[in-house]
Amino acid sequence: MIEAIGTYLPPWGATTARDAGPDEDAVTLAVAAGVQVTGNPDRTPVRRVVLVSRDLPLLEGGNAAALLAGLGLAADVEVREQLGGAPAALEAVADAASGTLVIGSDVVGRAGAAAALCSTRGGEITTTGRAQRSLPVVTRDASGAVTDYADPRLLRELGVAVSLERAGVTEKVAAVAGLGSKEAAALGDDVVPTLPTLGASAPLFAVAALVERHDRGAVLAVEQATVAVAALGEGAIDVARDEPPAQPIPTGSHTPGPDISISLAAYERAFDDKLRLEAARCTTCGTLAYPRRHRCLGCGSEAPSDTVPLPRDAEIYTTATIHVPVPGLTTPYTVVLAELGDSGVRLLVHLTGTPPGTVAIGDRGRLVFRRVAMRSGVPDYGYGFLPTLQVPSEDEEVAA
Amino acid sequence: MRRVAMVGAGMTRFGEHFDLGIKDLVPMAVSEAVASVDKGFDRADVEAAWFGELVSTDGFAAGILADSCGLLDIPVSRLENACATGNDAVRHGVLGVASGFYDVVLVVGADKVRETSARSTFWDWMGMTRDMAWDFPLGLVAPANFALHVSRYLHESPATREHLAMVAVKNHRHGVTNPKAQLRFEITVEQVLDAPMVVEPFGLYDCTPQSDGAAATLLVAEDVVDRYTDHPVWVRGVGLGLDRVMHAHKPDMTTFPATVKAAKQAYAMAGVGPDDIDVAECHDCFTGIELMNYEDLGFCGRFDAYKLIEAGETSVGGRLPVNPSGGLKAKGHPPGATGIAQCTELFEQLRGDACNQVEGAQVALAHNIGGPTAVSAVTILSNQPA
Repeated sequence: MIEAIGTYLPPWGATTARDAGPDEDAVTLAVAAGVQVTGNPDRTPVRRVVLVSRDLPLLEGGNAAALLAGLGLAADVEVREQLGGAPAALEAVADAASGTLVIGSDVVGRAGAAAALCSTRGGEITTTGRAQRSLPVVTRDASGAVTDYADPRLLRELGVAVSLERAGVTEKVAAVAGLGSKEAAALGDDVVPTLPTLGASAPLFAVAALVERHDRGAVLAVEQATVAVAALGEGAIDVARDEPPAQPIPTGSHTPGPDISISLAAYERAFDDKLRLEAARCTTCGTLAYPRRHRCLGCGSEAPSDTVPLPRDAEIYTTATIHVPVPGLTTPYTVVLAELGDSGVRLLVHLTGTPPGTVAIGDRGRLVFRRVAMRSGVPDYGYGFLPTLQVPSEDEEVAA
Repeated sequence: MRRVAMVGAGMTRFGEHFDLGIKDLVPMAVSEAVASVDKGFDRADVEAAWFGELVSTDGFAAGILADSCGLLDIPVSRLENACATGNDAVRHGVLGVASGFYDVVLVVGADKVRETSARSTFWDWMGMTRDMAWDFPLGLVAPANFALHVSRYLHESPATREHLAMVAVKNHRHGVTNPKAQLRFEITVEQVLDAPMVVEPFGLYDCTPQSDGAAATLLVAEDVVDRYTDHPVWVRGVGLGLDRVMHAHKPDMTTFPATVKAAKQAYAMAGVGPDDIDVAECHDCFTGIELMNYEDLGFCGRFDAYKLIEAGETSVGGRLPVNPSGGLKAKGHPPGATGIAQCTELFEQLRGDACNQVEGAQVALAHNIGGPTAVSAVTILSNQPA
């Protein structure tokens, strides 16, 4: 059963087709969706995470620890990284044991992520059919090279139509994940929900959409000639969306440059504090240290310290926007020194989710999990400052 | 503790010396310092030397000084203290002489910023001054490092970008007549404000250029000063201050505690105060930093720096000329050499033969701030022994 669904769309691109930001990848998108359903003490605790994606960043491993840190889950929670698209994610949800967080994360093409917390309460979902066939009209190898057979009619008729028949789908469905809106409409009853993504996150977006419009029924997931179909039954499902309005992705200027170097020793030492946003608290005087340090900033104690989470609400103490070309980076970019809640801790981070140079000292926002840099092939995760969306007040709307 | 006199000082022109290596620039500066000694100088008199260099060029730094200058029989040490290297190297020379350990020492500083492609320089130099896990990946280039301070400073003080521009205009004007300066042309406030943005709030003309160069000075004990000159410049005070390294740990970014501490030490040792300073060379790597320096060095009250620049008080001809050489802004900034070149300028000022002479100057101050704004060195010189 699905207890809750969280979704995330990057703020970039068109409303119906988002682009991942330069500081986003499948892991950060997954975290952004996942945190919409984790961290709530009333929810079923997460005992396992299944990340379904075709865009995993570290193919040789290393994604899971970053994912757990970003989600604020213990490092020993089981993580399954599953290569797959919409059918795989739909089946992962339908098959999930209680306490499983299934996240579909899509970067290439239409970017977005959605997470389903599966448990023994909520809305029932059951796989009712599947067909797994190979008709690789589009291919992508491990290096990212894409080839396209470019024959949509072949895919539709020899691929999807045949697979639907084999999966026993004879009637119109309530939602279609993995196909464009025109093809989806042809297979759906009434008006199928328009979904923002086509990959692993799409069936979860489909469930969220059905829940919100009090509709239940068959959910179809398609990836080339592979299909899965599941029945979504009654039962309450909480839906939390983080889907800011879309805006054009800023066109920066990239300067070619050498690989930005990394010390993996320094990376590993900082990993937990940096990705979990946890400070050390002096056991003698209570002063917070971020990053962790051997000797207390406040009293000089060298005793072992406690670990405490830092607040994520933040205010800009000072900021600078870099316009000059920096080799290996895209300019302009903005750094902000963010003051975290009333903790007295400040952190230097990049601005995210809004064009560079659009914030000022005193602006408020929150820290969100992002990929701070790519360094010699290593995604260097941490946090970015996301300013609070400026919603015009009613007075201003009236005046306008 | 013995009094220490500066009896010679010299420097190469600052600029893009694509035709000269570090092994050329260092002996050139040393020879100029030797030639500036009034009664002549036998370099066999040098008992020890310090070499300030931020980034190694062509390898082993101390060896390069010893080898290129024919000083193979004395101890030579390399000193690196971020952009405060120059004045800190002077301080080490002073310690060596004042303590009685040596009578005659040589202090040299040099850097070749333009020896590597601008492309790799960015990250090489950033790697030297940033925490590898926390700050380095942010692309916190040097101007951004300082812009974080100046943004906050402009937020809290009445100063504006126009006041920053006035600093550039003044220092460019001073640099025109300095044959050692890298940028010898005048600019206007409008040009500064209209220039391409580097890192807000710094446009191109708010920033120091990238420079190569070397500077050298000879320090001797009061016991032997008569051998070399009848017009010594006394090193009356030295100071070195530090601060928290990461920006996140600096509670008030509108001031540099490192400068305040360094200045306090130097003033106390010299027995003078800010009001006694007749001319100063301060670290204007970016225009706004010069304004912050006025306050940290005690030249004016907190957030009053804009008044000094507005009224022209820190121009040559004003009450307290700052950076008559053109400063880092126009003269250039090869970091290891910068502080020693400041002392070279003030050596000339205090002996009455500077290119932009401040009439009757008796007490002068040199200042560096560097690292991630976490280290500062101050030297106070005077033509009066006490």
